[in-house]
Amino acid sequence: MRLWRQTWLLARNDLRQEARQLELVMTAGFFTLVMVVLFAVAFFSLDDDAQAKAVPGMLWLGVAFVGALTLTRVFGREREANTFNALLAAPVDRLAIYLSKLVVTVLVLALCSALMVPGLGSVFPAAGIFDADPVALVSLVLLGCIGYAAVGTLFAAGLASAAGKNVLLSVILYPLTTPVLLFALVATQRLLEGHAELWSVLAQMLALDVALVGVGAWLFESVLVGAGPRANPARSPRVSS
Amino acid sequence: MSILPVRLRDIRCRFGRKAVLRGVELELGPGELVGLLGQNGAGKTTLFSILVGLLQPDAGEREFGGRSVRDIDIEVRARLAWLAHDPQLYPLLSARENVELYVDLAGASPREQPSAILARLGLAEVIERPVATFSRGMAQRVALARALILEPELLILDEPFTALDRQGRSLLAGLLRSETARGAAVLLSSHDLDVVASTVDRALVLDGGVIAQTLTRADDEEPSSFRHRLASGLSGPSFEGSRP
Repeated sequence: MRLWRQTWLLARNDLRQEARQLELVMTAGFFTLVMVVLFAVAFFSLDDDAQAKAVPGMLWLGVAFVGALTLTRVFGREREANTFNALLAAPVDRLAIYLSKLVVTVLVLALCSALMVPGLGSVFPAAGIFDADPVALVSLVLLGCIGYAAVGTLFAAGLASAAGKNVLLSVILYPLTTPVLLFALVATQRLLEGHAELWSVLAQMLALDVALVGVGAWLFESVLVGAGPRANPARSPRVSS
Repeated sequence: MSILPVRLRDIRCRFGRKAVLRGVELELGPGELVGLLGQNGAGKTTLFSILVGLLQPDAGEREFGGRSVRDIDIEVRARLAWLAHDPQLYPLLSARENVELYVDLAGASPREQPSAILARLGLAEVIERPVATFSRGMAQRVALARALILEPELLILDEPFTALDRQGRSLLAGLLRSETARGAAVLLSSHDLDVVASTVDRALVLDGGVIAQTLTRADDEEPSSFRHRLASGLSGPSFEGSRP
């Protein structure tokens, strides 16, 4: 009960700050729109068959870029005012910190996907996005975003106090999220092809998400403050004497 | 269960090749107001970070209320408050929202409402203003309100007098005395020997990664005399007027 209450309070806190500044939504939203426009200009002349094959790649490439941008800002805000350390020293379940950042990241990704999917569907009608099962489409996008955010939140938190974290995040994030993105890519191709095994793939994605969130939740505290008396101090939040 | 007394035994911590703490021993009981002194880089903030659970020591034991603690769990963190060197507040939130968030997260019902404690700290007029518009001293008062509102058993304050004006320093000293009077333990660091001498009951000097000296103020000792003894036990440019 405490975990969910604290998760809600922390997520609400992030959303409240976002509502006052709109920094993340504006940046990620405009970035998404620009990406759709660039894809449209670059690939407008693709034939119907090529469109169906290319659109899933565009979608998940977009999620990967917007996701990295979002994760950088979600933790950057905590880092700039050093509030992350205040949270860690407060009577807050550290799992609630992980879950709240995960929720906020997924919300931003879902919002950007809500721009990207119809945008790509309009620009590349032959891909058949609007013909796909809407429930399956929404489930697929959400599952892909959750999987990406589960891995990304863990590492973005771990790097939240490290020098040069933005570079490190990209270096670590993209290779580690590749399996999730590939899974989502294949599932999207099957969705657009009207493949009969789609729901089975979605079930596997759900299982993968559960596993990734579980691993993220399990490792989160160790990544932040070290695992025990012999933990590596370099992994802990920066302190000064 | 109380987390007092607090005991640190043989705490060691290194960053790369540099051993910052080489076996710190510390004990803090209810009602004590203790100052931690040391030059820049002596390891004061590292020690505080280990106490509040931001950092794991490489070796040593942390004991809270007679219980050895491997990780500073949520039950311990609920009974301690940490005021860092920087205020660590959300700049887009108001002073009240910053304090309320902390109270809500703790799931506690404080005796004093956030707006009341902020008013007591001289911020009545600016309670609803975003912290981003505050001076450093005002932000420090908000952070102090956040630290005090849940009446912690252990208060850990890293340079709490920094950025406070004379009135603020006097207010803080009074508040700390009230906290110890109700049984809380206070551990603070400062480079200002005048403030330390007039505030604390006992001063620990952190030097070379260990508590090199302990100076206790006698019941009837004047702050000036205690300050003289503190200054005699210290050297280095980081202390304001460290010479006797």
